[in-house]
Amino acid sequence: MAPAHARHLLPARLSQRRFLATASNPNAPPTFQVFNRAVKRLQRDRAAANKEASRNVDYLKDEVADRLVERILLINRPLPRVLDLGAGACHIARSLTKPRPDEPAPVASRISHLICTDMSPALLHRDADAPWNTELSIERIVADEESPLPFAESSLDAVVSSLSMQWINDLPGALSQVRHLLKPDAPFVAAMVGGDTLFELRTSLQLAESERLGGVSPRVSPLADVRDVGGLLQTAGFTLLTVDVDDIVVGYPDVFALMADLGAMGEGNAVLGRKEGPVGRDVLVAAQAIYRELHGNEDGTLPATFRIIYMIGWKASENQPKPLPRGSGQISMKDILEGSTTPSPGGEGGKK
Amino acid sequence: MSQPRTRPIQKLAAAVAKCNTEAAAYGRCVIEDYNDVHRDKCAKAFMALKNCVVVASKKK
Repeated sequence: MAPAHARHLLPARLSQRRFLATASNPNAPPTFQVFNRAVKRLQRDRAAANKEASRNVDYLKDEVADRLVERILLINRPLPRVLDLGAGACHIARSLTKPRPDEPAPVASRISHLICTDMSPALLHRDADAPWNTELSIERIVADEESPLPFAESSLDAVVSSLSMQWINDLPGALSQVRHLLKPDAPFVAAMVGGDTLFELRTSLQLAESERLGGVSPRVSPLADVRDVGGLLQTAGFTLLTVDVDDIVVGYPDVFALMADLGAMGEGNAVLGRKEGPVGRDVLVAAQAIYRELHGNEDGTLPATFRIIYMIGWKASENQPKPLPRGSGQISMKDILEGSTTPSPGGEGGKK
Repeated sequence: MSQPRTRPIQKLAAAVAKCNTEAAAYGRCVIEDYNDVHRDKCAKAFMALKNCVVVASKKK
């Protein structure tokens, strides 16, 4: 638990070298591996093994699932067969069964059949006995979203995903697989953490490790940025993209509570080439002091920012609205913005 | 399994919480010029903090 930090300096560098060797291993998949998926699966299994602790830290996943469901509900058509990719404990399914006063019918009725997949069997089945399971038709399949999924091409009416894609090594590959599985003109709606998520923790640990050990090791995952996500969706062949960002700032009593919660969520560090084992005590104590001094709130709590990137993309189809060709516009934006009072007669409504 | 593993960390957290003055001094020392942090830049402040934490964690 409290390793002598000096001894760990060298292994940290060695393990980074091992990482480079893995990337050039001919048997390894051709993509650049950043995350250790086996470790991630273990972390999720272990986290879910303690059901009580695991449910206590559902606040982030439930909140994001709720916000994602709001976006799914904007899609005004029945969705007979929906896949939840990297479902965790099926937070989206649970959110669908929550009562929503401003919706006329129970929202779960819009989705006839929901398939949840996750690579961790323990996490996936954690809430399989919960009462809300009876309110919708739900199926749980253990599957790693990085490998081929057991679904036929063009067989799904929507694919959704919440807070799981940040652990996928080959995002372009995973996204194009999703596009294959979707029916034409079907949506992909997802949320992932990205950008400056946990920048407070990242900076504090880096400063603490520099000062205590004289070097840094990857403690917080590299994350996709908002602009990367648009490009990724486009490369994977999605059309009519919508990407937006939402910051959720959670206050924690101290850095120990933050890291314990991340671990209980199954969201601990799984970066390849990371220093194995827990952060040493000295570094933790140092990070706690730096975190409070650098980012701490007035009331003594520590803020942790989760930047959630929401994305919607559609599989292309013949009868989908498409942008008009360049230069085909009839109305000058200049006239409108400069406040010419008479809008040009007719025709505008039909232009969409 | 996880029960005995989380407890030492809570003990440590409680001990650190009792050393606010030392922690603030160390934190200020590190972030004073955070583009130039090197090993043991604030060793003295850290030892003060660590001593306080060790004493605080022994009290109970």
